[in-house]
Amino acid sequence: MTTNLIDIQHADVIMATSNMAENHPVGFQWVMKAKERGAKLIHVDPRYTRTSAAADLHVPIRSGTNIAFFGGLIHHAIENNLYFKDYVVHYTNASFLIDPAFKTATDGDGLFSGFDTSKKTYDRSTWKYQLDADGNPKRDLTLKDPHSVFQLLRRHYSRYTPDMVERVCGIPKAKFLAVAKLYCEHSGPEKTGAITYALNLTQHTTGVENIRALCMLQLLLGNVGRPGGGVVALRGHANVQGATDLELLFHELPGYMAQPLRDVHPDLATYLDKETPKGGYWINKPKFFISLLKAFYGDAATEKNEYGYQWLPKRASADAYSHQHIFVDMYAGKIRGFLAMGQNPAVGGPNAKLARAAMQKLDWLVVNDIFITETAEVWKAPGTNPKDVKTEVFFFPMAPAAEKDGSLTNTMRLIQWHEAAVKPPGDCTSDAAFIVRLAHRLQKLYAGSKKDRDQGFRAANFTYGEHPDEPNMELVLKEISGYAARDIADKDGKPLYKKGQALSTFAHLTDDGATAGGCWIYGGVINETPDGKLVNRAASRKPADAKDYLGHGWGFAWPANRRLLYNRASADLTGKPWSEKKKLIWWDPQAPGAPDKPGKWVGLDVPDFNALLAPDGKNGDKPFIMRADLVGALFGPLVDGPFPEHYEPVESPVVNLLSKQQRNPVAKIWEVPDEKNVLAPVGSKEFPYVITTYRLTEHHLSGVMSRQLPFLAELHHSHFAEISHELAGELGIANGEMVTVASPRGKIHVRAMVTSRLKPFVVDGKKVHQIGVPWHWGYKGIDALPGSKGDITNDLSATVGDPTVFIQETKAFVCSVKKGVV
Amino acid sequence: MARTLAMFTDTSLCIGCRACQVACKQWNELGAEAPEWTGTYQNHAHFTDQTFRLVRFVEEPKPSGDLAWLLMSDVCKHCAQAGCLEACPTGAIYRTEFGTVDINQDVCNGCRYCVASCPFGVVHFDDGSGTARKCTFCNDRIHNGLGPACAKACPTDSIQFGFRDELVAKAGKRVETLKGMGFKEAQLYGADTGGFLGGLNAFFLLLSKPSTYNLPEHPRLPQRNVVVDSLLSIGSALVVGLGAIVSFRSRGKGDGDA
Amino acid sequence: MLKTPHWEMMIVWYFFLGGIAGGAYFTAAVADAFGTARDRAVARIGYLVALPLVVICGALLIADLGVPMRFLNMLGTFKFWDPMSIGAWALGVFGLFTFASALLSFSPSPPAVAWRRKIGLVGIFFGFFLASYTGVLISNTALPFWSEGRLMGALFLASGASTGMATIALILFLTGGAGGEGWRKVKQADRYAIGFELCVLALFLVLLGSAAAPLLGGRLAVLFWGGLVVVGLAVPLALELVAHRTAALGAVSAVLVLVGGFVLRYVVVMSIQT
Ligand SMILES: Nc1nc2c(c(=O)[nH]1)N[C@H]1C(S)=C(S)[C@@H](COP(=O)(O)OP(=O)(O)OC[C@H]3O[C@@H](n4cnc5c(=O)[nH]c(N)nc54)[C@H](O)[C@@H]3O)O[C@H]1N2
Ligand SMILES: Nc1nc2c(c(=O)[nH]1)N[C@H]1C(S)=C(S)[C@@H](COP(=O)(O)OP(=O)(O)OC[C@H]3O[C@@H](n4cnc5c(=O)[nH]c(N)nc54)[C@H](O)[C@@H]3O)O[C@H]1N2
Ligand code: SF4
Ligand code: SF4
Ligand code: SF4
Ligand code: SF4
Ligand code: SF4
Ligand SMILES: [Mo]
Repeated sequence: MTTNLIDIQHADVIMATSNMAENHPVGFQWVMKAKERGAKLIHVDPRYTRTSAAADLHVPIRSGTNIAFFGGLIHHAIENNLYFKDYVVHYTNASFLIDPAFKTATDGDGLFSGFDTSKKTYDRSTWKYQLDADGNPKRDLTLKDPHSVFQLLRRHYSRYTPDMVERVCGIPKAKFLAVAKLYCEHSGPEKTGAITYALNLTQHTTGVENIRALCMLQLLLGNVGRPGGGVVALRGHANVQGATDLELLFHELPGYMAQPLRDVHPDLATYLDKETPKGGYWINKPKFFISLLKAFYGDAATEKNEYGYQWLPKRASADAYSHQHIFVDMYAGKIRGFLAMGQNPAVGGPNAKLARAAMQKLDWLVVNDIFITETAEVWKAPGTNPKDVKTEVFFFPMAPAAEKDGSLTNTMRLIQWHEAAVKPPGDCTSDAAFIVRLAHRLQKLYAGSKKDRDQGFRAANFTYGEHPDEPNMELVLKEISGYAARDIADKDGKPLYKKGQALSTFAHLTDDGATAGGCWIYGGVINETPDGKLVNRAASRKPADAKDYLGHGWGFAWPANRRLLYNRASADLTGKPWSEKKKLIWWDPQAPGAPDKPGKWVGLDVPDFNALLAPDGKNGDKPFIMRADLVGALFGPLVDGPFPEHYEPVESPVVNLLSKQQRNPVAKIWEVPDEKNVLAPVGSKEFPYVITTYRLTEHHLSGVMSRQLPFLAELHHSHFAEISHELAGELGIANGEMVTVASPRGKIHVRAMVTSRLKPFVVDGKKVHQIGVPWHWGYKGIDALPGSKGDITNDLSATVGDPTVFIQETKAFVCSVKKGVV
Repeated sequence: MARTLAMFTDTSLCIGCRACQVACKQWNELGAEAPEWTGTYQNHAHFTDQTFRLVRFVEEPKPSGDLAWLLMSDVCKHCAQAGCLEACPTGAIYRTEFGTVDINQDVCNGCRYCVASCPFGVVHFDDGSGTARKCTFCNDRIHNGLGPACAKACPTDSIQFGFRDELVAKAGKRVETLKGMGFKEAQLYGADTGGFLGGLNAFFLLLSKPSTYNLPEHPRLPQRNVVVDSLLSIGSALVVGLGAIVSFRSRGKGDGDA
Repeated sequence: MLKTPHWEMMIVWYFFLGGIAGGAYFTAAVADAFGTARDRAVARIGYLVALPLVVICGALLIADLGVPMRFLNMLGTFKFWDPMSIGAWALGVFGLFTFASALLSFSPSPPAVAWRRKIGLVGIFFGFFLASYTGVLISNTALPFWSEGRLMGALFLASGASTGMATIALILFLTGGAGGEGWRKVKQADRYAIGFELCVLALFLVLLGSAAAPLLGGRLAVLFWGGLVVVGLAVPLALELVAHRTAALGAVSAVLVLVGGFVLRYVVVMSIQT
């Protein structure tokens, strides 16, 4: 997220689009603090939830129509002149001129210029700036040029009128206008608004574009980089932020650098050339990347061998190996062995029936978990004859967080250290211990290998501290943070770092092999005194106080302990806060700055800017330093288009009213044999209802960690589906009665929770029913609490993905509901 | 007596996360119970010997037609005039020096009179131990400088712990603020020591009338009628006694001496 | 929302037998003190009935505790305003009285009789207490049906007296004492008691108002109207008035009174159970 949860208390309006109170209850305290101050809370969700209960306004939205909603707000802000003009003109690319050949989806009936119908991809060559003679983008600060981003944006969203929002999203026009008024009027120097999101936006075949739409609205209203504003991404698992930073992902390497593609990045030079932008802070990418290779391969990484670049595994294609892809390939027999470390795809992944069938085809399956999961018992899943499953399953009992040292990075980029409270019982080990032990064994196995491809792994270090089997996690964090790979001196030859000493900041990383850093953005989380003592800043514990409301003394927020990203935007062009009320950092011309001249950025946060770059210096007025053009992107060429466009979910009961394009033309739909991924046609009579799947405060994800804990398992009676009184009435279903929910992929039996918290939508004049089903249940649980076991909701969902990160569409698809167990 | 401690549960800040309910179980080592279907998220339906904190979920349409989902974390009220304490024949239920009401499990003999004597249906009989149980106000914690586990766990400060007088002052201000924000029915429940039961040491801020939350509008001390009832019984005794005396004094007319 | 204490059959029996014990003892003591020497049979039956019943009562009460071993905890505390506390004490003290009276009832010696009379007059107090405190006890709870009518104690007392008398009458009948002076006097006293009980019951229902719902309309309504009002009160009273000269019918009426007394306790205790 661009901001910090603590800062949300300063928002004047908060639009929660995810279910924050239920899924981020601890962070939600800051929303409640803002409310205590008088801030308004809007909750946009198809269901009325515990977040709605706290909200001033609940806006029910049909699942999967988020771009229509945000587009409507953008339209409203532009047409009613409610955007923050100075901010938009100077801090975004609104004034930049786009190639005249570019066409918005308004002119292409749902398609942008460059669509290749046969390949189903875009040729993006027209999606670019017009450049002047010096190669700089052309601008029109009046925003009047028809090719300016602003005018194109306006044209693109001209169709997203309040009437259209009502017809598409099912939000009554009056309610939409109330939201638009409430949210947009909190914009400008004196006011800010924050928008929170999570899976409500991501889990769609338009997932990435949904989030962009949100970001664009925030940029238009001047809500990024300012106190009380922000794009509040609410992440998942306690350490999912850390997992993404360190890139336990298929397509990136630690610190948000692409995992090389086989055909695109044959060597290091090509990789760096293609992946390093020409402007913005990312011009330093070679330093980060080469330091990463040094962290991986140590002394074996040299300039001569491209720092070991060729040892890195390369991706065969953009979607290999995304989560869903893995199971499709596994089902096809292409993957023979699988390590499921701390995940439960038998329940948690989309199209879980496919996932289970795929895992039942493996030769071997290793499950590392703190409980015996459904995945560990996939060989005896209901409906399976264990005799038919040849998969050999190994289970390793692991230690949960409380039983090991380490850090977790939470949703606000805050790295927090924890120490083991108790020793793990019995044979349980930490994941790190498991990994290094496995690595050491494999290294022994490959000790004699002369093959080129094995040399990197042989050289890699898996020993941290004195005990090869028990890594010292602080040393792991030190490697991530960065250290000198050899003695380093400064320009004048004065020694700066001894070999092995931790670097104090990522600014000291170099591209000459002198430094190693496992994840550049974490640079500085571990410091080292000259006498070799480590200072773990993730373990610092000074709470926020009146002097430092953001709590810089608590943990360490990457990058460089900044709490609000792009915070240069909290000051105006001249470096003064936009208003006294909303001040965060500002240019102090008197403060001691560079040796030759005074002046420095100072304030309540660590500036996310060159602290000595005066507002009137070159690019001193451009806050978005991570972008090549240094401004916020209203125009942002993604895979699916530079402006988000509404498409219906892959499965939808209605046709797209905004264009001829029913669904995202570039969405990923996997072909799976044996009817394992059948999709319902648009407007299917057999599967007439929209279904969304979601979480409950009381349960955790696939439920392994909550259904097996009595205190949590007892909080919900049993698996259920939330159904409106209207639909229950039509089907004759009473509260508490068993129902059968089915999709073209599978069916589940659950109890009906009939509630007024769900209401049918009126979409283009027709009634559309939506139901909600939490997905926490599976076939393991506590025998004494029978309700702790239940059918697997993901047996209903499909194997489809968005075109950028291939996330599943589990927030909106279709189903049928039948009374009783049928 | 030490300065009175209290818990103030501000339902306007409650998000129904039930961290309090779970924290209570964990701290007090209470067991899980098979839940009943309540038709909503609430579980269990009532306080039990294993559930001292209970988050209530009340769906109620607002006059505007919009829905309100009132979330309220309910608990023993630690009444200044406590029906349970008055009822207890063994002295197991006692008032601590902080003004809270606790049950001494080593003294309770399981007569269950307190169960019937709580105006809020809080105390519950534990079949396992054979004793009555309820919220202890984390007696072990408050004597060791810690706040109640439920208050500690509450992410939104919906449950606040502190000196009663300070909390009441704060609560009063909060009601005013809420009224200013348009919550017309915002009200305190049990804050007033001049009000019912001499005030509750676990008092509440409600957003609707008490009955919406399943709370009695005017709870009264059950024992308020002991004297009247006893006098009426004595009266009854006199009448019956008179009848008998009259009967036995009258000389027998019939036959058969015994 | 309100909780029931889950007092069930043991407590029904306790209430019922405690009432008989108190009523029988009281009848005995009155007979002893105010009647003739011929009424001593009545007195002796009363004393001898009260003693075992009190013992049974104590046993029932203790057995119903969650931790029976801790019965004595009640005697470690004395809360004079708490019916449960003094009830426990009263049961114990009354036990001593019944024991003494029963013992003395075997001796015809004048000093023994004199002692017995004195003891009896004091013991009446505790007997009545036992018969009625249970009513006061439940009417000082939070449960509306128990607590809204102010006459539960009075009602229990009247019923206790009546059932105590009926018990004595029945024993007289079974031991061949029917038709004697004692029999007649007991029956007469019981007539008054039944009449009085009916009045108290009517008043009680009026006071209860809407809180009487579990009685008047609940699942126990039939039992209440049929078992208590008709069979337990109206019919015996009618029998007494119409046919009190027929010993057999007198015995029938005594049985019905006992049934009524039991039904009263049953209905009152069980109607609040959920
Ligand atoms: N207690 C608890 N907390 C958790 C988790 C947990 O399992 N339990 N999981 C953690 C994880 S891994 C994650 S990723 C996060 C997820 O946090 P959230 O995204 O908040 O989680 P969900 O409940 O899956 O979905 C949120 C809401 O999206 C709504 N929704 C569905 N479709 C749409 C739509 O098109 N638009 C809008 N505006 N809303 C829609 C659903 O009704 C649902 O209420 O939570 C984390 N926190
Ligand atoms: N239909 C539908 N499906 C969804 C979603 C949805 O909203 N709807 N949400 C998706 C999202 S956002 C997510 S994050 C995934 C989650 O899906 P999964 O990650 O598969 O589900 P979890 O239950 O979190 O599995 C984590 C496992 O890690 C174990 N564990 C905990 N601590 C440790 C540890 O220290 N070491 C090890 N080795 N194991 C540990 C737990 O016991 C548990 O079994 O589900 C996705 N699936
Ligand atoms: S479970 Fe942990 S990460 Fe999730 S809200 Fe609670 S404290 Fe935060
Ligand atoms: S609420 Fe009930 S249990 Fe708690 S102190 Fe008051 S009377 Fe006793
Ligand atoms: S059950 Fe225990 S605590 Fe309750 S009144 Fe009886 S002795 Fe007291
Ligand atoms: S004060 Fe303690 S015992 Fe009472 S509800 Fe809170 S956590 Fe439970
Ligand atoms: S912990 Fe706090 S917010 Fe959560 S349910 Fe309890 S009182 Fe409400
Ligand atoms: Mo997640």
